[in-house]
Amino acid sequence: MANLYVRAAPTTDLNRNTEWFTYPGVWSTYILILFFSWLMVLSIFACSPGMAWTVVHLSHFFVTYQFFHWKKGTPFAEDQGIYNRLTWWEQIDSGKQLTRNRKFLTVVPIVLYLIASHTTDYQHPMLFFNTLAVFVLVVAKFPHMHKVRIFGINADQ
Amino acid sequence: MIIPYLTALTTYFSYGLLFAFGQLRDFFRKSVDWWSASTLQGYAPICLGLEDFYIRRLYLRIQDCFNRPISSPPDAWFDVVERVSNDNNKTLKRTTKVNRCLNLGSYNYLGFAAADEYCTPRVIECLKKYTPSTCSTRVDGGTTILHAEMEECVANFVGKPAAIVFGMGYVTNSAILPVLIGKGGLIISDSLNHNSIVNGARGSGATVRVFQHNTPSHLESVLREQIADGQPRTHRPWKKIIVVVEGIYSMEGELCKLPEIVSICKKYKAFVYLDEAHSIGAVGKSGRGVCELLGVDTADVDIMMGTFTKSFGSSGGYIAGSKELIQYLKYTCPTHLYATSISAPAAQQIISSIKVVLGEDGSSRGAQKLARIRENSNFFRSELQKMGFEVLGDNDSPVMPIMLYNPAKIPAFSRECLKRNVAVVTVAFPATPLLLARARICISASHSREDLLKALEVIGTVGDMVGVKYFPAEPNKQQVEVGQVKKVD
Repeated sequence: MANLYVRAAPTTDLNRNTEWFTYPGVWSTYILILFFSWLMVLSIFACSPGMAWTVVHLSHFFVTYQFFHWKKGTPFAEDQGIYNRLTWWEQIDSGKQLTRNRKFLTVVPIVLYLIASHTTDYQHPMLFFNTLAVFVLVVAKFPHMHKVRIFGINADQ
Repeated sequence: MIIPYLTALTTYFSYGLLFAFGQLRDFFRKSVDWWSASTLQGYAPICLGLEDFYIRRLYLRIQDCFNRPISSPPDAWFDVVERVSNDNNKTLKRTTKVNRCLNLGSYNYLGFAAADEYCTPRVIECLKKYTPSTCSTRVDGGTTILHAEMEECVANFVGKPAAIVFGMGYVTNSAILPVLIGKGGLIISDSLNHNSIVNGARGSGATVRVFQHNTPSHLESVLREQIADGQPRTHRPWKKIIVVVEGIYSMEGELCKLPEIVSICKKYKAFVYLDEAHSIGAVGKSGRGVCELLGVDTADVDIMMGTFTKSFGSSGGYIAGSKELIQYLKYTCPTHLYATSISAPAAQQIISSIKVVLGEDGSSRGAQKLARIRENSNFFRSELQKMGFEVLGDNDSPVMPIMLYNPAKIPAFSRECLKRNVAVVTVAFPATPLLLARARICISASHSREDLLKALEVIGTVGDMVGVKYFPAEPNKQQVEVGQVKKVD
């Protein structure tokens, strides 16, 4: 594993907040972080695997909603605020829709939902919360929702 | 660039962890601050909450590796002032102790940063005669006889009919691009261009497109697409197209693929703007930059820009081009009309250092310096690669970045090298892409062979300790022969 080398092709994305997502290894890191957090939840709470997947799914929902679809702008001031009205999801790939990165990021919550609902045997309170989470996340990632703010939630003044 | 896969995964994970800790600390800070009353009710905040996140939570943690003050001229060996921090690097205080360190960070390519036997006496005489500042703009009272001589000298050196010189290198790019092109024009710039070019392009109002770093085929496809499309909404043809490239990219150490790019620009009738900040005076047989090194005729490059801070030991930047272009710039460029002209001693330093490089001072020191920097760079680069480091950059380029990747290795490398009296510059996000943090080494003609050997020894030890030797080291020739003598019965 240590001898496996990948080539990092230079990107044309000038937005430093999102260009790290185009380099090799991001998808694997994302999946590995989810897997290891499932193991950690299992070992800390000593619950059933299904509950652990539900916990991972719901905390994944909160974290990704906050950082992909709620927070706007970039963490540094050098770009002089040209992305201040755009969430991270709207910034990646310079706003182009239906790229490989966006498709991958849409599939991950769906797969997590399937695993979580399967391992809890589709039982009631967990199923409701899981379904709500995946519904919100997937609708937020639709191409038609680009720059749409429903009822003015999270819009600028 | 070739990255080991495991390193890529661990780098992402480390940055994720740093980001998570930063957010956690911000959350607690916000909860604590909510209870304390603020005296500025009704005022808008200076920073939007997210804007300075990187500075507060990532940069300040390793602040002691950047902005180190020095207290001597930046020659091959210099004095670095020690700093202490009582609150975990949030604030740093200077002490009175200094460390004598080997300088691997200054852009001192030809060794003019310290006192020089030809240049310094002339500069001191000029300082006494003309005083440090001209106290005026070029058009009012700031053009002395030195300024005219300097511009002629620069134009001859670079190989163009005329040149204009400004007091600051960054401003040369960011103030000239808006003058040359405006709304309705197109600027195509390399994706790794310097911030001054990005600022100038944004300030000009022209449409900006980016092509993949040093890839002439992608430049051609971007040009074709843009010329066919025309201006953004009206689809009218572009008023003019300027392609901006750099001679040596300061973060990669790579040379630009100038012959291919110039031929593509000629084919599609776009102007070429070459920024030779790092390559003028440092590469080429007589130091005239990438055009001489790569065999490109200077008449094919429309606008040549460069700075004097790197190889000439002075300050300021120049633009060289045709007589009509320079005449036009003298009427319209705001830096020429409103900014103070370059100070007279700095101008004298430029004239004297160019004379030394060309050999017009009567000695061969210029040619010796050029040969020495080439020899030093090639030796250092090949030795580092033999030790197993991942070093970027082409042969003959005096800039060599050593890849570090992991965010924890940046302060480790920097501090361990400083402990052993070698001062290196480490660069991380956002000056470089997130994954690709590096330690950038700039070789100078004033480094002797012993200096380089000491640097190699220190970097080798520190590299082992920190774990940045990503490639297998080449074995020594003697070990290979001993291994082959063993016989198996």
